[in-house]
This record gives sequence, structure tokens and C-alpha cells, in this order.
Amino acid sequence: MARGEIELTKLTKEFAEVRAVDAIDLHVPGGEFFSLLGPSGCGKTTTLRMIAGFERPTSGQIVLDGTDVAYTPPHQRNVNTVFQNYALFPHLNVYDNIAFGLKRAKRPKAEIRDRVGKALELVQLSGYERRKSSQLSGGQQQRVALARALILNPAVLLLDEPLGALDAKLRKTLQIELKALQQEVGITFLYVTHDQEEALTMSDRLAVMNAGKVEQVGNPRDVYEDPETLFVADFLGVSNLMAAQIVSTSTSACKVAVDGYELETRGTDLDVTGEAKIVIRPERIELEPHGSQSGPNRIPGMVERVVYIGSAMQVIVRAATGESLQALVQNTGSAIPYEQGTPLQLHLPVDALRLLPSGIGDAPSLKGEEPDPEPAAAG
Amino acid sequence: MYRRWLWPSLSFPGVLWLIVLFVVPFYAVLAVSLGTVDPILFQPVPIWNPLEWNVGWLQEALQRLAPGGIWFDVGIRTIVYVALSLVLCLLIGYPVAYYTARHAGRWKGLILILIILPLWISYMMRMLAWVNLLQADGYINRFLMFTHVLSQPRDWLGGSSSTVIFALVYGYIPYLILPLFASLDRIERSHVEAARDLGASPWSAFRTVTLPLSKTGILGGAVLITLPMFGDYYTPNIVSMSPKTSMIGNQIDLYFHGGPQPTLGAALTIILAVFLTFLMAYYMWSIHRAQRDVGAVGAL
Amino acid sequence: MTTVAEQRPAAGFSTSARLRGWLRNPWGKPRFLVLITWAYILWSIVPVLIAVQFSFNEARSRTVWDSFSTRWYWGDPVDSVWHDPTLRHALVQTFKLAGADVLIAVPIGVLLALGLARWHGRGSAASNFIMLFPLVTPEIVMGVSLLLVFSELFTFIHTGTTAQILGHVTFSISFVVVIVRGRLFSIGRQYEEAAADLGASPFVALTRVLLPLLTPAIVAAAAVVFAISADDFVISQWLSRGGDTDTVPIRIYSATRAAPLPSVNAIATIMMVITLLIVTLGFLTWRAFTRGESKAGTAAEDFGTAFRL
Repeated sequence: MARGEIELTKLTKEFAEVRAVDAIDLHVPGGEFFSLLGPSGCGKTTTLRMIAGFERPTSGQIVLDGTDVAYTPPHQRNVNTVFQNYALFPHLNVYDNIAFGLKRAKRPKAEIRDRVGKALELVQLSGYERRKSSQLSGGQQQRVALARALILNPAVLLLDEPLGALDAKLRKTLQIELKALQQEVGITFLYVTHDQEEALTMSDRLAVMNAGKVEQVGNPRDVYEDPETLFVADFLGVSNLMAAQIVSTSTSACKVAVDGYELETRGTDLDVTGEAKIVIRPERIELEPHGSQSGPNRIPGMVERVVYIGSAMQVIVRAATGESLQALVQNTGSAIPYEQGTPLQLHLPVDALRLLPSGIGDAPSLKGEEPDPEPAAAG
Repeated sequence: MYRRWLWPSLSFPGVLWLIVLFVVPFYAVLAVSLGTVDPILFQPVPIWNPLEWNVGWLQEALQRLAPGGIWFDVGIRTIVYVALSLVLCLLIGYPVAYYTARHAGRWKGLILILIILPLWISYMMRMLAWVNLLQADGYINRFLMFTHVLSQPRDWLGGSSSTVIFALVYGYIPYLILPLFASLDRIERSHVEAARDLGASPWSAFRTVTLPLSKTGILGGAVLITLPMFGDYYTPNIVSMSPKTSMIGNQIDLYFHGGPQPTLGAALTIILAVFLTFLMAYYMWSIHRAQRDVGAVGAL
Repeated sequence: MTTVAEQRPAAGFSTSARLRGWLRNPWGKPRFLVLITWAYILWSIVPVLIAVQFSFNEARSRTVWDSFSTRWYWGDPVDSVWHDPTLRHALVQTFKLAGADVLIAVPIGVLLALGLARWHGRGSAASNFIMLFPLVTPEIVMGVSLLLVFSELFTFIHTGTTAQILGHVTFSISFVVVIVRGRLFSIGRQYEEAAADLGASPFVALTRVLLPLLTPAIVAAAAVVFAISADDFVISQWLSRGGDTDTVPIRIYSATRAAPLPSVNAIATIMMVITLLIVTLGFLTWRAFTRGESKAGTAAEDFGTAFRL
């Protein structure tokens, strides 16, 4: 039996005239590190708060381990939250903060002392019992917040962008720690973030949300390499989008025409015709010297710009079809010099090229035209 | 998370209290001023039913305030006193607030305490202080005679308009400086620096950036002091026992404690309250406009 | 000598060069602002200090200094504050009213602040409006209205201590609401949500989590209510029955023009010192509780700007 299994059915939340969460269906099996990823305003935090109990759903169900808790008050749900600003009680010290839930549950003193001690060990803060939260660093406060929530053995731990207030290096360290913690404790972690790199590195599975709806659910590899909508393609990493005309589709391969060039893409089971978009990730584009062997999916192009980012180079190439595509080339001391104006050949491997119906989940900006110098900074 | 009826219930005692002891009394003033007077006992007879209200006394009060009426001078004088006091308070208070907010540096905390201090010193004590100084044999006269500005002691406390205005300024200026300071303090340094960067002289930067951005503070402070000032009667009474300097407040005070003619006093109170409501509406509208233009966090 | 004439003076070393530099300094503090500010502060405080000084005057004069004496406080068997019944009763009455005001207005005001801050339904706007109105109403209007309502409507309440207390509470509630509400907004809902998340019922969340966090504001509000009640003149006078329902401000008012004894300075000084002590206590409590919180600005500014209406 899975513990911490969440099932959201047609969950909706309206504020005044706005639908913050629009009839979403989501299933999270127990024991997973599951992320809700999306830009601000997409409804991920509202969804989390409804699961926690701080917002009443307008309609829909929140089934936790078989029971619908949508209208249960938050203090009666077996769900605990790590808040964005930690919300450590300023008037209590670390010990009393962590013990708070146990005291509410009227556990005996000896048991409380024992469990608080173990919780502090778990987050590596033993000895900090007497400190006040104002005397702790950001990272330490976050760990106290974790301990405070985990000590109650919830079925699900909700985390609302807990690493947002920390600097980059600390964030990376804590991401690893959080992931390890989840595997050690074994309960469901439901993690809300707008940072796609964070979601990709930590999650077992994730859901990409936009404007109150779930665009795609899957494991990080699937979501990144097989985006199902324009929005997902664009939000995660840099996408190179090209407009194309569909020639034929099938489940094994599709043929499209881009400005006179015929390209083959991966198969799809969508039944579409007419205009569509094709997308390829920068690291899959292969740059071949100008005039080398031709073959399927090759387009001539010219280097427009090169951006050096340390471990790799972003090579922005203007293809003969007119678009600017961004390729990511590892710095292996390659022989081919990429300078502005160098002519070369773009190879878009068939299994890296994906067909997306035009118009579904339109991205806020088509990144294919204006390459982002920071691939980690998403939409 | 909380029951929906919790917050209205918590508010209930306070709102009830204010209705019973603030709104209802105000209605009582209306009822008295629009009532009649018992001819034998000279007692006011309030009329509680709005349909039966008698505007006679209100009209009488309005006539007395109109040009030619016996209160006309008092009304004009009140407006003049308040206006002059407000201007003086601004002229003195603005530079002080400005310096404290923007240039005080490490002195800021100390100066702030010294500026807030008068707010906690009893108003009466502050007036008492000046009455002592302005006595015939007080320090002011002695100093002025010592420096040969005066040849004999001057009677400051016998009915002098300038003394009253001086006292009003002294008494109310702390209440202007505080909101002014708060508003000036909130102005981002970078706005002024941007103006200087773009070629504005210090004075010009002040005029085109700081001053407009402090408008809500000026208006808020102005409201905060002129509204009570219009009802002030004790300040003229303390520093000048003469009817030559009486304000509207004195008139009301007279009708309740001197006369008594409470109905007339109530009528005058209503007129004053209505006048102040117009003034307040004007201020609120100006603040709203200034807020909208500038996007600053507003007063009230 | 030509060599000397052609030598440019090193910048900043000659007085005239430094003066010119100071005058031209685009970021220098204008000196006149400093002067005005300190002149204002002196003008504001020194007269009060002189009045305090004269409360220790040996002679019976408020204007001519003789020598140091505490006769007006307790020495003089007839006219000192300690021995003069009118002055003593005034002190007692002032404290009575201020104490009662704090005990009544603060709880009502805290509840009202909580309610108004969170209530968004029907009637909340009107209630908020009613709460704000006493802050901008001139005291004489309130005095008139209270006097009339007690003489024409609620005639079971006569002028005197009860009426005075009722009046004081009425104008104090709004101050409490403004102060507490400001603190409520900076606290936010996060702590109560965290408490509920950890299993606290709404009642526990309010009483064990929110109220402790509101303590500095409540203490500050109590100090403020005490101060404005002690300082109140108009309402106290209008609702006074005379005699021992007169408060210290009323005594000062009537004595200022009449009997020129320094005992009036003494009683004013006593009131001032006590009020300042209480306000300072309130301020220190505020600062002690909010130490370590990440709000910008000094505690003095927070405390002061809590009252920017």
C-alpha cells in the first residue's frame, strides 16, 4: 500500500473572476519526490495550499490515501508544510518550534524530548535547541523548518519554494540534501518551484503547470526530451523552434517541410496536418563543417554569434531556412573554429527532432529566435 | 482556515462601542441643533425624528456666521489663524523633516527622538512654558529689554493675534513634522541621484523630484493639524484672554459654558463639522490624485 | 615673484580653496538645514526645560529665579503638590482615567484590529470608516457630542468620572487599532498557517502563536493610550463635574492665567516625567521584542511611523 498517495480530481480554485487552478487532475503515487514546476502565477502554489488546507477549493477532490480531505481543516490533515519563508515562530526557540506539533498532539514530555533529539540529528542541527530563529542562518532555518514538519510523520511533505531565499551555492548543496532526505525518510515530497533546473535534478517525476492547467506530467528525462506542448518545450531549457508544414505523419516518423528543406522527425500519434512547430534541444544539434557529406536533416547555415560560457559554447547559427538556432557545443578543444561568419552545416538528428502541433500551449516568447545566453534561466 | 464569522465577531465590541458613543452622540448634536428650545427653562429640546427637524436655529447660526453677522469676524479670524499657522508650520517643519530624513546620517535616531519628544509632553505644559516666558517679567521681555529691542516690557498675553498664531504653531508643529518625515524618509535616494545624474542642480532636483514625491506627506500632515486647529479654543484662552482673538472653538465653548445656549452651540458645531468634512473631502481627493500620480503609499 | 604666482595652490590645502570646494560640493549637506533643525529642536524643548527648572524655584514666582528648592513638590505645607488637595486630586484623577482607559480601550482595540484586518465581508468597509473617524474629528466636536448625548439621551450618566472614562476610551480605541493593525500586517498570516499545519486548532493558533507575536504592539498601544489620556484636556474638561473630577491638564489650564505659583510647574513636570517613563517603557519593549526581525530601519523609526496616520 502506497503511503502518501495524492489524487487530485478536477481541482479548481477561483479568486474573484480568475481561475488560478483550472480543473486539474493529478496522481502522485506514494514515496515520490514530485515537483510542480511553472512560472509565477501558474497555480502551483495555490494547488499546494489547497492540499495543505489553507485555501478552500472552489470544486474538485483532494484524495489523500483514499480519503477526500478537500474540506478538512489544515490542522486535521496528515500533511505538513515547509513554508517559503520558513515561518519559524520567532518567540520560540528551536526546540519549541520543532516540538510544537507534538505538544499540540499532547505527547508525553519524554517522548517529545526523544523525538526532537532524533529530528535534530536528522537535519544535522543537534545542539541548537536553545537558539532563537533570528540567530540562525538561512540554511539552518530551513533545516529547522524541515525537522518541524517531518517530526510529525506526515504522509506527504509539502515544500513551497523552500530554497528561493538562499544563495546559489547553498541552494545546490541543499538540493542534494533534500533529495537524500526524501529517499531516507521515504514519504512523498511535493515540491513547488519555478526553477526548472532544480525540478529536473531533484524530482522522480514532475508536472509542468501553466495558467492553472497541467501541461505535462512525467519523469525529468521525458519532460525535457519529449515535450508534448510548446509551453513545456519552451519552459524547460532552451528550445529551438521552427515553423514547418506537415507533409506526412505516422507513429514511426514524420515528414515536414521547412522553407524548401524536407526534414524527418520522430513519430507522433497526434493526428495533425497543416502548420506545426518542430523543436530540437541545443545540445542535440550537430555542427558539421561546411560542405561535408550531406544526408537527411541537414541544413546549411552561418555562425551568427558565439557565446562562451566556460564549460561549453553557445553557437548561434542562422540556418538557410531563416531561423536562428542555438547549438550547445562542449569545449573539448574541437578543431572547428566557430567565428562569426563561419559557414557550416547543421545536422538535426531525426530522433532529436520533435513535432509539436502549432498553437497548443503557446509559449510566452519563442526562444528559438532570440537565444538565451543562460540556458539555466528558464522562461 | 478560520470560521468566517470570527472576524466580524471580534470587531463587534469595538464597533458597537463606537456606534453608541461616537456615532449616536453625533446624531444627538444634530437632534439638538435641529430641535427647539423650551421657552421657559431655556433648555434645548432635541428632536429625534428627522422628519420633524426644525432648521430655525441652524439658520440663525448660519446668519450669524454670514457677512454682517456677529460671528463673521470670528469665522474669518479662525480661517486666517489656521492658514497662517499652517504656512508657518510648513516653512519651519519641512526643512526639519527634510534634514532628518535625508541628511541626518548618524544623528538620525537622536534627532528623531528629540522631534517625537514634544508629542509626549503634555500640550498644556508646553503652553504653560511659553506663558511663563511671555509674562511681563518673563525671560522674553527681559531678554528683549536687555538687547534694547524693547524699552519697556510688552504685554504678549493680553490679546495679541501674533501670540496666538505663535502658540498654535508651537503646539501643532510636531504633528506636522512626523508624517512629513515619514513621507520624505520613504523617498528612494536613487530617484534624487538619478535627477542629479541627468543634470539637475541640488535645488532643481529637490523641486522636481523630492517635493512632488512628498506631496502626500504634506497633505497628510496638513490634515492632521488643521482639522483639530479649527476646533481649538484652549490655545487662544491660554495665551490671550481677550475676545479679540477668539476662534470658532471659543464661540462654541461660550455657548455651552458661558451662555448657556446649547442649541446655538450645537448648531455652530454642526456647521463646523460640515465645513471640516468638505475640507477633508478635498484633502482626500488631493491625496488620491497625488498617490495615483506618484504611486506612493498614502496617508490615512 | 613669478614662480610663486605661477604655482597652482595644491587642492584642499588653502582655506579659500577648501571653502570654494565645500560650497561647490554637489553632495554636501546644506548648512542652513542643520541650523534650522537644531534651532527648531532647541526652540521646541528649551522652554519646557525652563518650566521644569522653575518648578524647583524657591520663590513664589514662575518667572524670577531665586534658588533651588523642592517646596512645590512636597516641601510647602499649603501649596505643594503633595499638600494641596486640588493638585493631589487632579493627579489621582488623571491616573484613574488613564488607567481605566488602558484597561478598557486596549482589549477592545486589539480585538477590533484583528477583526478589521482580516474581515473582508459586508460591513467591513463601513466599520473601518467608523474606526478611522475619531482620529480626524476635532476634540471639541467630540466634547460637544458627548456632553449632549449624556444630557439629552443617556441621562443616567452624569458628567464626572464615568463620563470621562467613556469619552477617553472612545477616542483611544482608534489609536490601538492603528498600532496593532500595523504590526499585524508585518506579521502576515504565515505563523498561524504554520501552526495550523502542525496541528493547532484555530483558537490555539490565535492565542498561542499570534497574540504573543502581537505583544510589542499591544504594549506600545497601552503606553500610547496612557499618554494621550493623561494629556487629554478637551474631553476631560467637557465631561468634568468640577472639583476632584478635574485632571492635571485642566488644573494647569485654569492655573496658568490665574495663580502664578510654581506648583503648577511642579505638577506639570510630574505628569511629564511619568508619561515619558511609560512611553519609553513601551518603546523599549517594542524594540526588545522586535530585535532580530528583518524589518529595515531603526526601532525609533518603526515606533514613530506606526503613528503616521
